[in-house]
Amino acid sequence: MIAKILSAALGTVGFSLLFGVPRKYYLNCALIGGAGWFGYEIALRLGCGTGAAVFIATVLLALLSRFAAVYRQCPTTVFLIAGIFPLVPGAGIYWTAYYLVSNQLNEALSSGATALKTIFGIVLGIVFVFEIPYKVFAVARPRKKKEA
Amino acid sequence: MEKQVCCDEALVLDAAMEAGHILLQNGAEISRVEETMSRICKHYGVESGDFFVMGNGIMTTGGTNVGGSYARVRYIPVMGSRLDRVIAVNQLSREISEGKYEDIAKVKQKLEEIKNLPEKKIWKQIVASGMGSGFFCVLSGGGLWDSTAAFFVGVLLYVFVLFVTKPHFNKIVGNIFGGIVAALLCIVFYLIGFGHNLSCMMSGAVMPLVPGVAFTNGIRDIAGGDYISGSVRLLDAALVFISIAIGVGVMLSVYRGITGGILL
Repeated sequence: MIAKILSAALGTVGFSLLFGVPRKYYLNCALIGGAGWFGYEIALRLGCGTGAAVFIATVLLALLSRFAAVYRQCPTTVFLIAGIFPLVPGAGIYWTAYYLVSNQLNEALSSGATALKTIFGIVLGIVFVFEIPYKVFAVARPRKKKEA
Repeated sequence: MEKQVCCDEALVLDAAMEAGHILLQNGAEISRVEETMSRICKHYGVESGDFFVMGNGIMTTGGTNVGGSYARVRYIPVMGSRLDRVIAVNQLSREISEGKYEDIAKVKQKLEEIKNLPEKKIWKQIVASGMGSGFFCVLSGGGLWDSTAAFFVGVLLYVFVLFVTKPHFNKIVGNIFGGIVAALLCIVFYLIGFGHNLSCMMSGAVMPLVPGVAFTNGIRDIAGGDYISGSVRLLDAALVFISIAIGVGVMLSVYRGITGGILL
């Protein structure tokens, strides 16, 4: 599990680089990507289904992204996009294609449905966290030196 | 005197338009574009600016009875994501609000600089793509060899994306080919015994093609009430997802045809 969290973090850095995120934000992106996967694994172990686990993970990483955005004074998008990547159902794409091609339509349907659930988990997670007012996150604002 | 006012307003609105253009083109949400544009206008005392921002265009009008009127429509094609530019414009807009740019000409100059921010070096992008594929292969349960193979697939796939797909194909065809190439490479590696778990290798390998920015921004736009832009972006993301799946499926069925019905 630790290996997976680490690779989620490192893979996240890879994708942030692809999207042109400056180097100074890599650490934040990695932490958020790792945290998202951590949330997902924990939720699965507590007996959640895929959709619910992804929802919980998304809420966790979206909250962290908003805190990071306030703290680093930079758009939330940067952290959010990077952090969501580990949860995107890449395997779902493969399995759906695989079952379709091999004419196992029921399996294709069920793996497609799982991918959809994952996507809805992500959507709902983001939508809910962005309803929280900015004030809540303002505590993370970096303290400015007083200018006399 | 009246003329002066008119020119100033036009300059400010031009700068706001330019900032909005950069933001929209490089992967910012609609609400951020609107907010930044009105923030710039407000700071320079232009109260008359009105903006209508869509997924692929901005319309701006402004002007008072005293000066002239201002109207611009700009078409902004969807492009790749360069979050560094979004960050830079965001930073600039904050600095404007703090009063660091009293001269609008300097803002323009700064926006030009942002437009010319250098891209990450090509070899870095390629290695990053490999990293992404390799590590995400681990996430879907791949072992050391599978992940190493996925790393190489990711590297080769991105070389293909950079030199063949991006300059020559549109999104749908490009991603179908991307899916084909990813699947082909995985199968080749699998056949020569480099990596044993084909499904894990594939799940990692297709990740560099996945449209993360369009997907995330689409959700955020819809959450913010920008339904048209949001649904266009989600449609964009869905098309890419489906194209990748088609590509992978095509390659798998070709392989199936060659081996006579045995599917890995």
